[in-house]
Amino acid sequence: MRRLASVPVAIVVTCLLTLAACSSSSTKTSATAAKTGNTGTLHLAYLADMSTPDPDVFYDIEGNTVILSAYEGLVKYAPDSTKIVPALATSWDISPDKLTYTFHLRHGVTFHDGTPFNADAVKTSFQRRLDVNSAPAYMLQPVANMATPDPNTIVLTLKHPVGPFMDYMASSWGPKIISPKALADNAGTDHAQTWLKTNADGTGPFKLTAFNRGQNYELARFDGYWGDKAKFANVDIRIVPDMGTQRLQLQSGDLDVILHSFPVAEIPSVQSNSSLAVKDFSSYLQSLLYLNTNKAPFSDLAMRKAVAGAIQRDSLVQEVYGKYGTPAASSYAPGILDQSLAPVSYPPSTAKVPGAGPITFVYTADESGVQRRMAELIQQRLNAAGFTTTLKEVQNPQVYDYVNDLKNAPDMLLMTNTPDAAHPDTWSRILWGSTGGLNFLGYKNPQVDALLDQGQMATDKAAADQAYGQAGKLLNDDYGILFLANARDVMVMRKDLTGVQHVPNYPWALNLGALGR
Amino acid sequence: MGKLIAERLVALVGILFALLIIVFLLESVIPADPVRAMVGASATREAVAVKRHELGLDKPLPQQFTAFVSRAVRGDLSLSLHTRRPVRDDLAAFLPATLELALAATVLAVLLGGALGILTARGGGTPLRLLLVSGASVPGFLLAILFLLLFYSGLHWLPGSGRLSSSLTPPSGPTGLYVVDGLLHGQLNVVVDAGRHLLLPALCLALAPAVALGRVLRSSLQTVLRQDHIRTARAKALGERRILFRHALRSALNAPLTMMGLQVGMLLAGVVVIETAFAWPGIGLYTVQSIASTDFPAVAGVTLVLGAFYVAVNALVDVGQLAADPRLRTA
Repeated sequence: MRRLASVPVAIVVTCLLTLAACSSSSTKTSATAAKTGNTGTLHLAYLADMSTPDPDVFYDIEGNTVILSAYEGLVKYAPDSTKIVPALATSWDISPDKLTYTFHLRHGVTFHDGTPFNADAVKTSFQRRLDVNSAPAYMLQPVANMATPDPNTIVLTLKHPVGPFMDYMASSWGPKIISPKALADNAGTDHAQTWLKTNADGTGPFKLTAFNRGQNYELARFDGYWGDKAKFANVDIRIVPDMGTQRLQLQSGDLDVILHSFPVAEIPSVQSNSSLAVKDFSSYLQSLLYLNTNKAPFSDLAMRKAVAGAIQRDSLVQEVYGKYGTPAASSYAPGILDQSLAPVSYPPSTAKVPGAGPITFVYTADESGVQRRMAELIQQRLNAAGFTTTLKEVQNPQVYDYVNDLKNAPDMLLMTNTPDAAHPDTWSRILWGSTGGLNFLGYKNPQVDALLDQGQMATDKAAADQAYGQAGKLLNDDYGILFLANARDVMVMRKDLTGVQHVPNYPWALNLGALGR
Repeated sequence: MGKLIAERLVALVGILFALLIIVFLLESVIPADPVRAMVGASATREAVAVKRHELGLDKPLPQQFTAFVSRAVRGDLSLSLHTRRPVRDDLAAFLPATLELALAATVLAVLLGGALGILTARGGGTPLRLLLVSGASVPGFLLAILFLLLFYSGLHWLPGSGRLSSSLTPPSGPTGLYVVDGLLHGQLNVVVDAGRHLLLPALCLALAPAVALGRVLRSSLQTVLRQDHIRTARAKALGERRILFRHALRSALNAPLTMMGLQVGMLLAGVVVIETAFAWPGIGLYTVQSIASTDFPAVAGVTLVLGAFYVAVNALVDVGQLAADPRLRTA
């Protein structure tokens, strides 16, 4: 009788053993692949799918590595810098009135499909970005005319001076050049948007060879690349939505880099692992505390000022970020604007705040746990000062809804953001300009708006910087948004990786073309 | 039996419609603006309005609802706000992975639960019972971590995530279930590799249903084994194997089948957690990504599919009961 009933168990056990037995051989193959080094595969992971690899639609942070490996723009930022250096353009001239931009293009560049790169390709791609008219189209909307006097020159004429125009060109969300042949062959009725949701055809060091949504993206070295060829033959980016699983994979050698959101509290446990390295890079990520100035209690400046003191910011930042963040010295991240032009400081106070009452406080969570920890500490400190703080975690789309009904929006919002490019306009305008997309709790100051326009139209950099600085000062005097911390971009990677290059404006991304083992 | 299937179909439509209304109401009370999130921070207010109009989100709620239902009836589930692809295509891409996982988990649950029920009905099977019950009493996410730590990270026996090693190409169709497709194409390496990826997540999902099934099977078997016709069979000196499988098991299957139907439905709820832990590219993972971006069309699509699945499983259980126990057919 026992023998009978144990048949199913025997089946299950046999399956388990057979499958487990097959494992030893496969671990061996991955180990040998790792040893072959430069021809091997780089293994990366994303916590979630990127929205789309179409550079004219893509407007997120997760996915930067794919876009920046497959595509190039005319210019880019140098590693660890805000310096704009050549990419597909070798040099450029800007007219004194800042209205005409002439780009001299690189010779001998081909797209992944073999099509030669030239001025017409640039024009086609730029026009497509305008036609698709998705989020990043705004960067080209000031362009009045595009001329191609010869195959290696493109001349852009602007409707009005745009201070950050060159920074738009260098941004990770800036205009990228797509093969005109691919655009024509797959045009369909939507400017090839359907095709570019799962394909890529640029000039970058890697070709996108597979885009399996929810599963993995595969990149292969582009041997026809005009610059230094990539060292890795292949890159495999898996969707691994659980940070715990990513950590196990990193420790087992199945993953080479955790690109972001590694729990700060657990970094010490990694540092004791001799095969792993923790690297942190400068970024423009800033932790922000928005105050709702449109209703009580924070319609009262004295109350906002009291919050700035009661959170005891400097010790707060130290406690949450440790060495991976510093208290913000300005309303602009270092590198974007001279820190002395719009300084912030919030002298700590432990006194009770007179008239403090109930407030609602929301934050957007991240996998690293930084936001949650920060929010909880702020809640504690405000409660100690006499407030009764109701804390709630929310999702990004909910945050975008607040501006539609500011009287019912929360009193405070904690969020971490980064500008589109390394230029003060791309930060100030969207964050505290009155119609800015990241101005979630509706801060309004007509003087600020005037200063921002003045900065954008200025043809002289010093004058522009003064205007942006003044706009920051007005906000800081108003305590509309409190600038908590400049966060570092923290990655955990296998120690044997070489050629690690990071650009502050390209968060959560490494230059895969330079990476080797 | 025809009447039963017709009844179930009517119920299916009713349930799906009720589900749609609930999801739609939930969506409308959640304060969120997916359109703003979609067009990005630098978009002008006008651009947001244009997009909102394009997606039909500027219309009054009842109108949005009728539009949604009429499109859904024609099989058009709108565009996902996150992936910007038709939800139907997304579901077609993610569903096979979940089906494969759920099927594997069901098979495991039936084998393990069947063994548990039969062994314990005869007063034995203590080691198996201890193993299964202790496994099933651990929450799914914890079990997933434990399995990963033990079999992937510690012993290196099994892979830790995904459906297939990246060195292998997934078989092309026709079912989308890698193990089945691999067999159909005769690619044994794919079958083995997919099976190895399947094992840990399927086991995580299977333990709780296996215990539930085993328990119910045990008690109904014990009842049946005490009945007169079994005593008669024993008196006729029939072999124990014959008594158990020909006479006892069949009439004892009613309750376990009902239990299995319920458990398979519950199993789909567990899929969200397990798929996240094992990076399994199925409906659960898709749901997590969609909820994070308040992607209503995607969430509604998933709800419809899972709802239909649940109703279908329960209808199958009804049919299965009729087939297993002829006494019910006259009732």
